[in-house]
Amino acid sequence: MVLKVQVAPLCLLTLAGAGLLFARLTAAAGAEFPTSQGIEFFEARIRPIFVDHCYKCHSSKEKFKGGLTLDTREGVLKGGDSGPVIHPGFPDKSRLIEAVRYKNLDFQMPPKSPLRPDQVRDLEKWVQMGAPDPRDSTPTAALGPRTRPVDLEEGKKFWAFQPINDPPLPQVESQEWIRSPIDAFILAKLEKEQIKPARGADRRALLRRATFDLTGLPPKPNEMASFLSDSSPDAFAKVVDRLLESPRYGERWGRHWMDVARYADSNGLDENVAFGNAWRYRDYVVRAFNQDKPFDQFLIEQLAGDLLPPTGSIAVKHERLTALGFLSLGPKLLAETDKVKLEMDFIDEQIETIGRAFLGVTLGCARCHDHKFDPVPTEDYYALAAIFKSTHTMDDLRTVARWHEPEIALPKELETKAAFDQLLDKTKFAVTNLIATANKRLLEELKTNSLPANPESRYPTNTLSELKTLKEQLKKLEAEAPELSSAMGVKDGTNILKTFPVHIRGSHLTLGKPVPRGVPRVMTGPAAPAFGDHQSGRLELARWLASREHPLTARVIVNRIWSWHFGRGLVDSTDNFGALGDLPSHPDLLDWLARHFIKEDWSMKAMHRLIMRSSTYQMAASKDPVAALRDPDNRLLSHFPIRRLEAEEIRDALLSVAESLDLTMGGKTIPVKNREFVFNHTSRDATTYESTRRALYLPIIRNHLYDFFEQFDYPDPAVPTGNRGATVIAPQALLMMNSELVEQVSSQLAARLLKQARLTDAERVEQISLIAYGRPPAQKELERALAFLRQLQDTNSKAKTEPGGERAQAWGALCQTFLAANEFIYLQ
Amino acid sequence: MNPFRPGKLMSRRSMLERSGAGFGWLAAAALMSDPLSTGSRAAADPARPLAPRNPVFPARAKRVIFLFMKGGPSHVDTFDPKPLLDRDDDKPFPGEKPRVQFAPTAKLLKSPWKFKNHCRSGLPVSELFPHVAQCADDLCVLRSVHGTNAAHGGALLKLHTGSDNFVRPSMGAWVTYGLGSENENLPGFITICPTFAHGGVNNWGSAFLPAAYQGTPLGNATVPAGDATVRHIQNSRLTPAQQRTQLDLLGQMNRDHLLQAGHDAALEGRINSFELAFRMQRAMPEALELSRESEATRSLYGINDKVTENFGKQCLLARRFAERGVRFIQVTHSDPDVQWDQHGDLRKGHTKNAAEVDRPIAGLLKDLKSRGLLQDTLVLWGGEFGRTPAAQGGRDGRDHNPEGFTMWLAGGGVKPGFAYGATDDYGWFAAENKLHIHDLHATLLALLGLDHEKLTYRHAGRDFRLTDVAGHVARDIFA
Repeated sequence: MVLKVQVAPLCLLTLAGAGLLFARLTAAAGAEFPTSQGIEFFEARIRPIFVDHCYKCHSSKEKFKGGLTLDTREGVLKGGDSGPVIHPGFPDKSRLIEAVRYKNLDFQMPPKSPLRPDQVRDLEKWVQMGAPDPRDSTPTAALGPRTRPVDLEEGKKFWAFQPINDPPLPQVESQEWIRSPIDAFILAKLEKEQIKPARGADRRALLRRATFDLTGLPPKPNEMASFLSDSSPDAFAKVVDRLLESPRYGERWGRHWMDVARYADSNGLDENVAFGNAWRYRDYVVRAFNQDKPFDQFLIEQLAGDLLPPTGSIAVKHERLTALGFLSLGPKLLAETDKVKLEMDFIDEQIETIGRAFLGVTLGCARCHDHKFDPVPTEDYYALAAIFKSTHTMDDLRTVARWHEPEIALPKELETKAAFDQLLDKTKFAVTNLIATANKRLLEELKTNSLPANPESRYPTNTLSELKTLKEQLKKLEAEAPELSSAMGVKDGTNILKTFPVHIRGSHLTLGKPVPRGVPRVMTGPAAPAFGDHQSGRLELARWLASREHPLTARVIVNRIWSWHFGRGLVDSTDNFGALGDLPSHPDLLDWLARHFIKEDWSMKAMHRLIMRSSTYQMAASKDPVAALRDPDNRLLSHFPIRRLEAEEIRDALLSVAESLDLTMGGKTIPVKNREFVFNHTSRDATTYESTRRALYLPIIRNHLYDFFEQFDYPDPAVPTGNRGATVIAPQALLMMNSELVEQVSSQLAARLLKQARLTDAERVEQISLIAYGRPPAQKELERALAFLRQLQDTNSKAKTEPGGERAQAWGALCQTFLAANEFIYLQ
Repeated sequence: MNPFRPGKLMSRRSMLERSGAGFGWLAAAALMSDPLSTGSRAAADPARPLAPRNPVFPARAKRVIFLFMKGGPSHVDTFDPKPLLDRDDDKPFPGEKPRVQFAPTAKLLKSPWKFKNHCRSGLPVSELFPHVAQCADDLCVLRSVHGTNAAHGGALLKLHTGSDNFVRPSMGAWVTYGLGSENENLPGFITICPTFAHGGVNNWGSAFLPAAYQGTPLGNATVPAGDATVRHIQNSRLTPAQQRTQLDLLGQMNRDHLLQAGHDAALEGRINSFELAFRMQRAMPEALELSRESEATRSLYGINDKVTENFGKQCLLARRFAERGVRFIQVTHSDPDVQWDQHGDLRKGHTKNAAEVDRPIAGLLKDLKSRGLLQDTLVLWGGEFGRTPAAQGGRDGRDHNPEGFTMWLAGGGVKPGFAYGATDDYGWFAAENKLHIHDLHATLLALLGLDHEKLTYRHAGRDFRLTDVAGHVARDIFA
């Protein structure tokens, strides 16, 4: 046997190419049992090509791009991610040959320059010979993550994919500190490390903390006074209730969610056109928070509001359609010329956003390969992609591509529109009628059957003027055509895919095996949904996510809530609960909160009350030396972390202390028409930020954020962000020192105080301190401020020219100093 | 954007505890997260993110001036002569056109401009650039650049950030992150009159890199270069002396507050940031003071001529920033209308654009050279893509062409008077020594002494690079 096999190729070689059968035999034998001629040919002609042109990217010792290695026989035969690269005996069927021939524009190797024609011929000949290859077939050493298939069973053991635990409350010594079950979890860890929790925060600091926390605004001096004078035991609980009832609450906490929803009023990316209806989603979010919409419902509406069973109420229907903005708000490469890629790009954006926002998993990583770190195989990604491929997000992919907007017109709007359409039709008819009549008369006059060129020039004057008037009316009408209200959103596509092929290396040009619609398999708990045949599957996906058994959804959102209260989550990486994320500092507390949240019907407000009524929340920000040593990072929460205000809080606080904040809620605030360019080829900026409404309502222009936001760590509105940074950079200082906004509010505050003639200067300084910091100034501060005023008025000034200018200017500068100081923008 | 992807070794809070603040500070936190295992480039002092840092290899260049021609200048009409295109004018393109094109194109269109070989190197330059042609011996012409996106927005983003479908840090931000700045009183990365269109701020943004590394815009494309300045750099009401008094009061208040709050690095950092801002208020206007330049210099840049005045000022500003140690300077040529985007009116449009930039660019090269700056300054010229050899819009226009186009380098350790790579016979596709945008980025970083595979930043659980998972260094262009 052995002998025969070894001999056969020798005989057959001469016949190579003579017939299919022979070729196949030759091929199989050629690679595995190379002849000496074959070996010679390989060594002389082929190996040098591989070494010089291929190994750099395709060898087990360096890189293995596309999963392909060419430095072993086994590697050559196995091929890469898209399958075998040579088909021994058949050069024309071999991808390697296709690549080196450089004819396929999308598939050329080597990538930098083509091989010489004789080298290409040698490779063709080599494959024709059956690809004889004497090289060692020792399996290559660890080829990195790709070669290890995702082990789902092993993956399920990771804490985040495990069902939510039901931990008992830990036992603690200092029972008197326990106001809420939260405190037991926090204190247990502190006691273990022998760290004492900080004392309770003083009341001024506490009110300032809570007011900014829940409303994003500073407390008013009268609110401070009334809290200070309320000696009842539930004084603070009353404050929390009052703040939660304020519409300012939804504006503040809705904004948190908008960070996660990567909210923006423009597309950004390549073609920066206006999302002229994004504001409806923004207002939906604010309403949802103010109404305390249960989070599970909130989630389902945002992913599948269009697919929920109708309630009969138009308002509810519109609300649900508006919620779908979540899926549509992402940046899209609207001018991408490869339309298939364009579609896959925005599907990817939707999947990645859902993954980060609700699951804390970076699903997008699995677009091109199995997730390198988390147990998400690429099949799971395309199982989700099938759902979104069956969803209609865009109406038109031609440049500039047009996103879909469900109509949400009210009956009254429809009536107006119908009336208008009638009027329009009537006017159009009048025009055609007039022309027809005039033409008929013209024919009669001219006694002919065919109209002359430009018949209108021969109409009588009165007909002509009548026609002109009518045409003008028509033009005016058309310009004024009412647009029916619409919101950004999606609907189900006409083609519901039950399977969708894996895109090898993320490319739609290399399709792999089809996978059915599905959800990430590693997340244990709720049963995988059964997908209906006639819907995209979004509703099933949303319900699966919002299931009480889901291991991640509740954990991720309670962690977010915690993080927005404390500046940092129990899981520090709020958007990544995967292997590269952080482990929870208090896993039991996280699970207890998640269970409690579900038990309280996913109520955000109940969660705020629970957290804010705890001793943990009400601690002072002062550090204990022991704590600083044993827990320098304050991971165990022995004191409340100092928090820098966020961009919108700083801006709103500035306007608020100047009493020039306009509290009007909602509505369209971007001054550009829907789908109009914010910037096209030019750099002219149509947007202004001079509005005195809350910062929430200022336009969010991707690629061109309001500089005040940009400098103060406003998150990139192109991607979901769970917790913002709080950097300190010199441009922020320049803004506080020199910007018009800060100069303006400082002068306004100064002018208001100067107008109160009965106040002494010392009383005025006291007022500034009360307004800006919620506390009276110390004696030293008072004296320093007064000295500053004198000094400034004595020096040369740019304002000397106006009467009384120096005094107003000095007071303005003093107010500015108070507002620029750390105490104004850092909460204790 | 959360610049602190809190590392496992050191969290945000602990970083805050340990750092003060410099011009941009401490978002540098993540710089510290396990530099050894992730390959992240550790800042020597996280409190001073812009402190100059040594490259990992011997650097051939210390800084970059990127002359960006927005819109896509035509390579076959400027630096890549194609005799066959002349011969086969008005015939169909014999090869296969790209699978996806921006728009349909017609027959081949020969260049309306003549090429001549220049200087000792004999590099061909078309008559559109008579002044730059005089510097041919300093140019290293890259004729095989190619990208992946045929639309302006995508192509601009790809060129500036390496990615067209994600928001990523710009190359200037990466370079500044890698090397810091030699002048901490100025931003490390300045972009002069940038365009807000097609990617806008993302083209000079820092994305997830610390904010200190973002480009600082000086004016924008609608602002004449002479009026371009940095926002909020001057106070309109207080004299510098008064502002000094104010900052003294502020410092006292902040120090009292710090005593009461206890040691906190962010609070301390913010105290320093006001002092730094005060120094920047002086350094920036001084750098912008073009009137201090001699008449000879001003005319070298064409500042006395209306046509070249604007871009001349931009280029002269670039030299002044380069002298002051700014690491990455971008100069954008972008008129208010169609820029270098001649789908039609090729003759008129390209003539006008070239006239505006030719003398200033040559002036910059000569000036850098005479001051000894060219040897360690890398000048990069080019647009987001080239143009098709086939006509569009009648017989006087060309479409976008990302498949093969020309950029050039000068100074900074590249082979002078050298042409690298080639497009096909007609100039449609890059054909020899192809240089993808990722390769260009890898090569730029290498010239600056940085390894594009090691210059990483950990964000959202992954180490990111300017070159993503691609990029080859074109070592053949190194002098």
